Amino acid sequence: MDPLAAIRETFFQECEEQLAELESGLLAMEAGDTDPETINAVFRAVHSIKGGAGAFSLEALVRFAHVFETALDEMRSGRLAATDVVLKTLLRAADVLADHVRAAHDGSAVDEAHTAELAEELKALDPNGATAGEESGGEEDWGDFEFKPMSVDVPAAPAGPSGWQVRFKPRADLYAKANEAALLLRELGRLGETAVELDTSGLPALTDLDPEAAYLAWTVTVTGDVDEAQVREVFEFVDGDCELEMTPLTTAEDGEAPAAPVEDPGETLDIGALLARVQAVADPPSPQQVSPAAPAPAAAATPEPSSPPDGQGQPRKPEAGATIRVDLERVDRLIDLVGELVINQAMLSQRVMEAGFARASGVAMGLDELEQLTREIQDSVMAIRAQPVKSVFQRMPRLVREVAAMTGKPVRLITDGEGTEVDKTVIERLADPLTHMIRNAIDHGLESPEKRAEAGKPAEGVVRLTAAHRSGRIVIEVADDGGGINRERVKSIAIEKGLVAPDAALSDEEIDNLIFMPGFSTASEVSDISGRGVGMDVVRRSIQALGGRITISSRPGKGSTFTMSLPLTLAVLDGMVVSVQGQTLVAPITAIVETLLPKAGDVHSLGGSARVIAIRDTYVPLIDVGQALGYRAGPMDATQGVALLIEGEGGARAALLVDAIQGQRQVVIKSLEANYRQVPGVAAATILGDGRVALILDIDTIVAVSRGADSLRAEKRLAATG
Amino acid sequence: MTQTNPTAAAGLRELISFRIGAQEFCVDIMAVREIRGWTAATALPQSPPFVRGVINLRGAVLPIVDLAARLGFESSEPSDRNVIIVAQIGEQVVGLLVDAVSDILTVTDDVIQPTPDVASDTAKTFVRGLLAIDGRMISLIGLERVLPDLELEAA
Repeated sequence: MDPLAAIRETFFQECEEQLAELESGLLAMEAGDTDPETINAVFRAVHSIKGGAGAFSLEALVRFAHVFETALDEMRSGRLAATDVVLKTLLRAADVLADHVRAAHDGSAVDEAHTAELAEELKALDPNGATAGEESGGEEDWGDFEFKPMSVDVPAAPAGPSGWQVRFKPRADLYAKANEAALLLRELGRLGETAVELDTSGLPALTDLDPEAAYLAWTVTVTGDVDEAQVREVFEFVDGDCELEMTPLTTAEDGEAPAAPVEDPGETLDIGALLARVQAVADPPSPQQVSPAAPAPAAAATPEPSSPPDGQGQPRKPEAGATIRVDLERVDRLIDLVGELVINQAMLSQRVMEAGFARASGVAMGLDELEQLTREIQDSVMAIRAQPVKSVFQRMPRLVREVAAMTGKPVRLITDGEGTEVDKTVIERLADPLTHMIRNAIDHGLESPEKRAEAGKPAEGVVRLTAAHRSGRIVIEVADDGGGINRERVKSIAIEKGLVAPDAALSDEEIDNLIFMPGFSTASEVSDISGRGVGMDVVRRSIQALGGRITISSRPGKGSTFTMSLPLTLAVLDGMVVSVQGQTLVAPITAIVETLLPKAGDVHSLGGSARVIAIRDTYVPLIDVGQALGYRAGPMDATQGVALLIEGEGGARAALLVDAIQGQRQVVIKSLEANYRQVPGVAAATILGDGRVALILDIDTIVAVSRGADSLRAEKRLAATG
Repeated sequence: MTQTNPTAAAGLRELISFRIGAQEFCVDIMAVREIRGWTAATALPQSPPFVRGVINLRGAVLPIVDLAARLGFESSEPSDRNVIIVAQIGEQVVGLLVDAVSDILTVTDDVIQPTPDVASDTAKTFVRGLLAIDGRMISLIGLERVLPDLELEAA
């Protein structure tokens, strides 16, 4: 990739982050967050996108970003109130901005009319008419994005107060981030005439002085035609790292303001140098550079009776933390290697035991520690791949807005647990099913506003999307407060479509689960949004492909809740280790409902090799795994083995007959296809503690095949020709 | 060490020769990744008789092809004395079960005689040429078709 393209790529990556920031900020404001820092963050996001887009000459993007930014600036300066209507417009503008970024990225087309429409709406928000809109088309400050604060030099804006008194007290963090108070003061000096007063009252005796702490404060009086935003902009990049207090000067005070500067910014440099010298003497080994360890002394230094922070000092945004981008392949390789380490360690332990070392011997104890360490390494490495579900949850508010607009149902989306972490692959494959489910929740779940009013519910429907960790899995719920599943209707449709027998006696739960049947769709007319007949069965299948389960619970009049339970990673699987005819096999635990010891009276032959087993009055097919996989020719005596009651694709149940259960274990999934090919009835392989390969059963294939044919041969031939 | 590079430059080929029963075969040394002892394989269901199963090669799942069975000879239950030649075939890595590895041969291309026209399909599929070394006949094996072929089986 040529360097420019690489930079461009980085720009788009950053845009994604900025857009996410923008959206979460706007949503926080919609939820009632009035912290000025939130507005600033939102503004900065749009501003950075505009700046970067300018550098790449992305005209359309810059134009829209500029209008957007102008509206946000109005809000930032308090001239535009953050009402519900305004925020709704801003949110839609964020969507358009995202469209523009995507269009600029892959060259796709943008809905010009829609853009123009929103640009107009944004301009209409501006209480000053279009005044701020035409500052030379926004070209004035593209250059400053992401850089030091000193290049900002905005031409004079509408008349504000005739001056400002700024009290500025840096915290140690400000210096730790290599910012310099003197430069900021000089920058202020450019805005107008300034008088600077140094407050040294916080300065301790030299013996108590911490060289890395911040003690000084300045009071700067800026006179001239300066507005608040301009002053704030000077301090934009040290936001949160200093205490900043701004009071407008009335014209009366204006007279006394230009008192001779008591202390010149130059003075402060001398103090800086003095501090450096003190440090060099008092603490020779530590370098002069302020280390990131500074916050500790800073915290000790700040609690002094200085000016109360006015919003600037509110809970600081968590620092962006040091992160690196790593090629996923490298992480996967590391995970593979750690998997090896775990297996190797298990083998070693086994050998040591076999060699007859006592448990209390040094060797055995050393091995125990090794085992702990390897487990920890495995967990930490898995954590590298883990990401918060936020990235996929974040796409949902937009979807909700769109579907809400299309269906004409006002909807509020509440998300919770965005910080819940799960493997990246799981996250990627979660987006589609979640999209489907949320669409369904709005389109089918929620009633129309009229019906809601009849039922005495608020007009605005609520869709709740939550994630949480529960016993080693992630549980994601999509809940709506709609009418619940219309069981009568579901049943009649299922009968009409021949999915169930007309005289079938179904429990409520069974009826609810009918919506997962292939080809079932309750939408009376096929709409744009859902109801293409590929609804919930697709969702169910994609969840199952991830090793997960989906269930529904519904209460008439109260709403429905879909609950998905997914493994935290696709690299490992919770398995039931079983033996069949001397072979060790692994069955995925997610599919197993229960295990039982078949009694002679429960097993019945249906002719040929087909057998069924009675489980609490229902008969399910009994599949001899050894026979299905061709490990033995004849059927085994069912009473000698163990049956695993499993639930496969589409909820079909069957019992798998195995010789014995060895135990439960978490196994690392290994591909068979990498060096061989797909084997019917086998999903993948794994390596057990003794270093041998064990096969992981593909339960759905085994069930499907044993239903249709005597052995897997037929399936294989089908697969080969098909 | 001083030998290898000049030989490659002079159009010489290095082959690894091995025994299956009384027969001798060889493969190009460039395809061979390593040679290891026999370890019990996990049987794969529904696989052709010449696929012995899979073993764990440092974390990778490696299929083991019983070369005797593949080439149409009588094969016997492998023991500790058998050897697995780990070979790279295209993108895949496969273990070849043989009786013993005997030699490394450095030959020029003209020593390799074309396979005589015989009726055997197996010979046509796998044998790429014959070498006569010290009065022994060694068949040069091509590995591309060693793994089972889905299309062929279905037909």
